[in-house]
Amino acid sequence: MSRPAPSPIFTLRGAGAPLNTLHFSCHGGDTPLLFSGSGKGAIHMWNLNTRRAETVAEGHSGNSVVWVNTLQGTDTLISQGRDMRVCLWDLSEGRRAVLDSLWTGSVGFCQCSLLEMSTGTHLLAFAGQQTEEIKIVELPSKTPVCTLVPDAKLGMIMCIKLWQPDSGPGPLLLAGYEDGSLLLWDVTQRAQLSQTKAHPEPVMCLTFDPQCLRGVSGSSEKDLCSWRLDGQNNLQLQDSVTLVNPGVSQLCVRGDGKLLASAGWDHRVRIFGWKKLRPLAVLQYHTDLVLSVAFSDHQDPRQRLLAAGSKDQRISLWSIFNEGADTG
Amino acid sequence: MPTIMHQISDPKIAFAYLRPACVLLTKAPTVTDVETLSAQLKEIDDATLQQLQEYVLFPLRFVLKVPGTKKDKLVQAVAEAMSHVLETTCVQSWETLRDLLSELCLCLCTPTDPGKPAETSEELKSAVLRCLDALLHAAYGDIIFKLFEPIMLPGIGSAISLLLALGEKERSRDVQLAALKCLQALTLQCDCTQEHVVPSSQERGALGSTMASFLPGITMAVSRIITGDLRHGHAVTVRAIKVWYRTVGLVMEDAQLQAGEPCRTAPPDLGRVSQLMVHRSQDWVKSTAGRLSSLLKKIISCSSAHQHWRVRLEMVELGEHLLARCSRSLGECVGLLLEALVGAVNDEEPRVRKRCEVVLREVSQRNQSRSSAQTFTDILSENLHSLATSLPRLMRTSDDQKKLFVLNVFLGYLKVLGSQVSVVLNSAAHLQRISKALMQVLELDVMDVRIVEERSYAATIETSSDSYHSYAARIQRRHFLYFTDEKIFSLLMEICRTLGYYGNIYLLTDHFLDLYQQSSAYRKQAAMVLNEIVRGAAGISVATEAQGLESQVWGKSVTQDDLKVAVVSIMEEYTSLNNWHLITVSEEAERDRQDQQLLSPSSLLSISNSNVGCHTQTNSIQEISSSFGSQSSSPSTSALHQLNSNIWQLCIQLEGIACFAQALGRDFRPLLMTSLYPVLEKAGEETLLVSQAALGSMWDISKACGYPSLKELITENCDYLLNDISLNLQRLSQHPQAPRVLTVMLTHSDCSLLPLIGDIVQDVLMALDLSYQHTAALFCSVLHALLKALARWFPSNSSRTSNSVRPKQNPTHEELFNIRQFMLDHQKEKELAEGIGIEDDLEDLNENPPPLECEDVDDIGGPDVKAELPLHLSVTKDIMERCIHLLSDPSLRLRLKVLDVLELCVCVLSEKENELLPMAHRCWPPLLQRLTADDPLAVLRAFRVLCTLGETCGDFLRRRVSKEVLPKLSSSLLRQALTSAKAGPVYTHTLNYKLQLAVLQGLGSLCQRLSLGDAELDAVCEACLPYLSCRQPIRLQEAAISVFQHLIQVDPDGFWFTLNELHCPSSYIPPHPDLHPIQLSGMGRARDEFSDNALRLLREEFGSAAETEEQPVS
Repeated sequence: MSRPAPSPIFTLRGAGAPLNTLHFSCHGGDTPLLFSGSGKGAIHMWNLNTRRAETVAEGHSGNSVVWVNTLQGTDTLISQGRDMRVCLWDLSEGRRAVLDSLWTGSVGFCQCSLLEMSTGTHLLAFAGQQTEEIKIVELPSKTPVCTLVPDAKLGMIMCIKLWQPDSGPGPLLLAGYEDGSLLLWDVTQRAQLSQTKAHPEPVMCLTFDPQCLRGVSGSSEKDLCSWRLDGQNNLQLQDSVTLVNPGVSQLCVRGDGKLLASAGWDHRVRIFGWKKLRPLAVLQYHTDLVLSVAFSDHQDPRQRLLAAGSKDQRISLWSIFNEGADTG
Repeated sequence: MPTIMHQISDPKIAFAYLRPACVLLTKAPTVTDVETLSAQLKEIDDATLQQLQEYVLFPLRFVLKVPGTKKDKLVQAVAEAMSHVLETTCVQSWETLRDLLSELCLCLCTPTDPGKPAETSEELKSAVLRCLDALLHAAYGDIIFKLFEPIMLPGIGSAISLLLALGEKERSRDVQLAALKCLQALTLQCDCTQEHVVPSSQERGALGSTMASFLPGITMAVSRIITGDLRHGHAVTVRAIKVWYRTVGLVMEDAQLQAGEPCRTAPPDLGRVSQLMVHRSQDWVKSTAGRLSSLLKKIISCSSAHQHWRVRLEMVELGEHLLARCSRSLGECVGLLLEALVGAVNDEEPRVRKRCEVVLREVSQRNQSRSSAQTFTDILSENLHSLATSLPRLMRTSDDQKKLFVLNVFLGYLKVLGSQVSVVLNSAAHLQRISKALMQVLELDVMDVRIVEERSYAATIETSSDSYHSYAARIQRRHFLYFTDEKIFSLLMEICRTLGYYGNIYLLTDHFLDLYQQSSAYRKQAAMVLNEIVRGAAGISVATEAQGLESQVWGKSVTQDDLKVAVVSIMEEYTSLNNWHLITVSEEAERDRQDQQLLSPSSLLSISNSNVGCHTQTNSIQEISSSFGSQSSSPSTSALHQLNSNIWQLCIQLEGIACFAQALGRDFRPLLMTSLYPVLEKAGEETLLVSQAALGSMWDISKACGYPSLKELITENCDYLLNDISLNLQRLSQHPQAPRVLTVMLTHSDCSLLPLIGDIVQDVLMALDLSYQHTAALFCSVLHALLKALARWFPSNSSRTSNSVRPKQNPTHEELFNIRQFMLDHQKEKELAEGIGIEDDLEDLNENPPPLECEDVDDIGGPDVKAELPLHLSVTKDIMERCIHLLSDPSLRLRLKVLDVLELCVCVLSEKENELLPMAHRCWPPLLQRLTADDPLAVLRAFRVLCTLGETCGDFLRRRVSKEVLPKLSSSLLRQALTSAKAGPVYTHTLNYKLQLAVLQGLGSLCQRLSLGDAELDAVCEACLPYLSCRQPIRLQEAAISVFQHLIQVDPDGFWFTLNELHCPSSYIPPHPDLHPIQLSGMGRARDEFSDNALRLLREEFGSAAETEEQPVS
């Protein structure tokens, strides 16, 4: 910690609203892109070479966009808004049109989760109309796969994560609930595999690393709670990390499984080593809540950036712990 | 003549016609006889004359052959007659040719020494030479070649030495020319328009072989002519050069030497003559070439820089001729010849240049086609190397003319080498040598004091409307240690560009960047070179000329991507912390300047400028540099020349960025991300030179990137700029220039920028709030700049209202007569002045403290409570809020600055009274403190703010001013009046005087604006009356008059009375006897110190005294 705190390599401004969600897309084409969803319903596509918004798409009639993602292999953007709709966008050849949309009925803040099954088909998990209901559909056909409702009253569904285990037959789903519980669902069986109470407060966010079967969740209090799955798909709580200030909006593990980033309500982004959750750095730039963090999926590891979107309407981009790259 | 006259064509008649004259001539030769004959000869036609040639020539030759001295006239006449014959006929007999030649030579030489010219008249010499020339041209067929048989060597030799002597020693230019031309004809190298014998290669060989005997003599004598007296004019030199190279070209011809000397065994009967024969063996060629090269060196050094272009052109021909024929035999001269050619590539005379280009192209083509291409390049690069080695010495020692020539040669080599340059530069020795030479030659003279002294005040930065050209024109000239001529500099730059054009851009940038980093001594030069290299690599200012030489061989090899990579690496180096943040201001000087600025009279006098909307003059105090300076080294150690050097380095680097933009064109746009911020940073620098260079650079960049002006450049890239600014604002201690960049942005853009910088302003305010102590000074200048920009972008209408007051200057008669209306108005005003209308307003304000700021900006997302304030107003409010706190800052400088900011705030906010009044209320207490209990300087500024406030919210201030400000001001005015009345001329330089002046100048309009009550007006009047005294300094009197002028507008009658009390020029007789006679205390009073000004006021404000006489007094 002897080195001075790094500063962002650049910032993206001009979104004009809080930035709820960020998503990198650096695979296709030669220009790396960053998608952001704003509190005023705009989806910005930032060109990371020119550092400017290439296009701004409005698809949720002014309602806050809570989640954006891209379908791998196709030029399709998927966005979830608080107008209770999920939109699919066609981005090929410069088009910016809504292809299809899906009514979710959820008024909450729970972000969807996307899983690629095979080329062309994806599973999308989202919060349903009922408080505790999770729905899973297949894309692009929109065929409903299942609806998962817990037996006990756990409150509103807060966050979900869908993933495909190496060993198991079907995809599994992790869900965090309002009462602080974490549930593991088997999607194909529609069965609840495991449950644990991770936080005394609502689970605000969670992330899971399928490689080492570990995950971490954050809440509105100071603790980050880490947990793992044993061989029997049981959730086991592990050590927790206590932050200086309470409140975490989002957690994100870098693709190489080395870093964890947290978006703090204390305007700071914190970086941890993912193995032992050792605090590594505090990134300070924003002047309001940090709402989202994302790691770039760029092929060149040196160009893998960390982006943080904040309520102060700016996105900061950081180049940190990249071997060989300038740490700024 | 002969064509008009009928010519005699029958040989018999001709013979009969000529015979008497010929016979006569053989008997007793006289001039008249010869002239008769020659007149008759002209009537014979050519063919006939040919038949009679021998017959006619005989008497003439007989005249010459008669022993004993002959008269010059006679010989001349004979020579002229013979010339005519020889010019029209041809000599077919070898004997005639031989005899005539020797006879004519005899005419020229002294009888004793056949090699020495006789002391005869010029006319004779030129006549004989003309005859000789005619003879040589008349020689028919093969007979001429008999001349060059070994047996003739002595004869030819004496003829040659005779001609050489004439060419060299003769005083007459014509004779010299004729002799040289004869020499040319004798060696069959004549280039006149007549027909010449074309020798076969064998004959040429014989010719060359014979001439080899005389080569040393000819070349040496002719080079003496060339290098000798310059007075003999260019024609002789040109001819001599021609003789030289043609002779050398004949003897040393590669073709002849290669064919091998035919075994010319000397006939045994030659005797001593055989000793004269030369066998052109290898050794002979070698030694001759050595001698020739030393001669050539002399000739080239003498003629390459010759003033007459024909001579230089002839040198090009020389190079061409010898390189074409003798490049093998004269191997060691090739370098010299090329140098001569290359030096002419950049000749100022287009004909020379053109010819030279053609020649060089031929040369390079010839060499490329031949196997000797490698050696040719070798020679060139060798020459280049040695030239680079001697360049610094030459640049130090020689005069400008010579320097120009040397550099031209240097450039010429590069051009001739063309694409080979990159190969040559691959040799480390070459690159090293060339770069060192450039480094040394381009050394700057950094001892000029003025550069450091010159400051750009805010006013200069402000002139955003200035066009590009005004900046370009102001660019300061650089002073170099080793040369002064601007042409030399541009030549050097062209050399760099050519290097960049042909060389490998990566190699060059690496190498020069190395030099740049290596030593601070080379840094500036290396940067200059790098700038031009990049421009050259992009083909700027080189392509057109290079086209002439190598267009077909050479295309641009540097791709835009390569260029971009190079540019990025150079720019990174330029803008790195150590090379960009250089100290350019010494700290002490800076402090002095600021103090001076604070005390400068101009700022004080400007208070009178009531037109608040456009306060253009500013006294911005740039605290940035003094408080933060540069972190690297302490200014005490930085000597003047170090500062100078820093300034130049920055200028060069800024220019460099402009060059890079030019080189990349629109592709430079992405690089603006990293480059624009540093440039703007320097545009805000207070060193004039640097900020000008930065502005010039900005113009270049905006042009290169296709923006129509600086405004677009900034607004379209403001996201990049703001990104850096906002980052750096958070790390101010490391990046103290961030506010400066913001300042520059603001000055060069328009209101469209405002929404974009909204959040940055919040950043600034937040940074300010976090630590008032450390950052206040720094941010004040930003706030000041911001408000100045706001005032410019949103001109308030207060200026309009203040103008509307003016026409009311002279109250019209109607108004005066309408007494009833007047009384009503008067009553109303009196009530108002007593505060009847305001009372409840004030209560209101005290109960409702103004809403807290920051709401307006941050609450965008929240529910709408009230109509949103326009951004510029909310920003202004936020800033004004800070001003309230900063007004009582312990630092005087800061207080002054804040007062300036406050004034601007008031101007901008005046648009919306609802917002202004609460703020004015809040800032009143600290402002009052400034007005009443502060340093005079602060009082001055505070008074100015007060005036502005008075302009915009008059009523609101009335009571406060009358209660809290006026008493103090008037008492101080009264007190000072005594001092100033008695003071001498030095008093006008004191602060007290300035304060008095400022108060007097502002007081009038303030009173009028506030519509003060009678009591207050009386107090003001009382305080100002002493200043009407003619004993006061004149400007104070004028200011006092202006106060009264304003006061009279408020209350004309009252002040008419007051003035008349002071001095009344005339008596007033009541219109009706019932009325009491008027008694004014000023009546009948003797003229005193007040009379003049009182009268002036009465006259100007109330019309003439005569007019007022008639008016009834209410």
